[in-house]
Amino acid sequence: MGLYAPVNLTWEMTQACNLKCRHCLSSSGHPAPDELTTAEALDLVEQIHTARIFQINIGGGEPFMRPDFEEILAACHKRGIMTCISTNGTMLTKELIDRLAATRLVNIQVSIDGAKRETCDAIRGKGTFDAAMKALELLAPVKTIATSMNTVLTAQNANEIPELYDMAKSMGVSLRVSRFRPSGRGVDNWDNLRPNAAQLLAFSDWLARSGDVRTGDSFFSLTSQERQGLGLNLCGACKLTCCVGPTGNVYPCAFLQSAPFKAGSLRESTFQEIWDNSAIFNSFRRLRIHSCEDCRRYDQCHGGCPAVAWHLKNEISSGDPECLERCVTTIAEEAKNAEAA
Amino acid sequence: MAAAGCRLHPACRVRAEKFGLLFYDMRGPRLLFAETGRLMEPDFFQGEVPVDAFLDGLDNRDRTRVRGLLAKLREKGYISEQ
Repeated sequence: MGLYAPVNLTWEMTQACNLKCRHCLSSSGHPAPDELTTAEALDLVEQIHTARIFQINIGGGEPFMRPDFEEILAACHKRGIMTCISTNGTMLTKELIDRLAATRLVNIQVSIDGAKRETCDAIRGKGTFDAAMKALELLAPVKTIATSMNTVLTAQNANEIPELYDMAKSMGVSLRVSRFRPSGRGVDNWDNLRPNAAQLLAFSDWLARSGDVRTGDSFFSLTSQERQGLGLNLCGACKLTCCVGPTGNVYPCAFLQSAPFKAGSLRESTFQEIWDNSAIFNSFRRLRIHSCEDCRRYDQCHGGCPAVAWHLKNEISSGDPECLERCVTTIAEEAKNAEAA
Repeated sequence: MAAAGCRLHPACRVRAEKFGLLFYDMRGPRLLFAETGRLMEPDFFQGEVPVDAFLDGLDNRDRTRVRGLLAKLREKGYISEQ
């Protein structure tokens, strides 16, 4: 059942960022050469409106680094398009939050990667924990902005997720946990930051008991039966969502922003033409992970995240190496090996 | 339902798809696929169309389908009565 357009669109609006997080999916820092101009960005907003896409999930880089960001946001809101902004929180002020609150069409996710200052700062940089907490304290009382803490699950913070949940709850915001994937700077830091099988399994168990924790579609490959009704059971790339990069290239998702997955450029085609006709998108829509079809959990994850499979195995159809079933198998094998030794 | 229109919750949107109507709720976010074919247009949920009058124009089978959909949308918080 193909949709006329995605439900939501991830728009990585700039590669500029004032931080250099170790897990950054797009290796952000400096702006990309030839990022979309204001006029091009506003034209994309009009195309998104015409396509009747419900929501734009805005990331980067740090979107507030774009001097025209509020102008682009205003164009979205004028057309009734809902926006969700992923930010490191360092540039949020009360005045800016008041302007965003008045639109009633903004959700904000503030990135924070540990319940302890030293854990977060070791991943995101010195001072980032305090900056994120300050932003969350400004946002929490604002009723017209749904705010969440956004944490990327890593080996370093896996044990702090319940504490982050309590922190979020006490502040009156929600917790959103995202999956660490080996793209961007995450490739260089994969071995150090990746949660191990035991941590992933423990997280999966905790998630099953924590129905109000948001995960987007991050963890459908780890989702237990208890949580199935809350989210997806397969990758939504090219079916429900896709990604526009800073220079107007269109990709299946934010974790596959590389040449082999370029579906088109907004400088050469309209968004609708790319959505309707891209060979890459059509191949994703047909993608079946045959090697996983005999798994008892196939109906619950359909082979997991193709992006992780691509980055770790160079093959999108090989099955997610970090799915729930493989975590269980890995732990069982480790126990058997330890016993034999 | 009274002779009033239905209006989407401010956090919700609807659009036409091949199968019927696709509803989106930003609060989840969550989706609702309504296989209504061409029975209803998204404009129905702008609150302008009196529900009773709309239902009166349908045959029994479609009336039951629409009533069921409206009850589901109301229960899940997608719409409110005017």
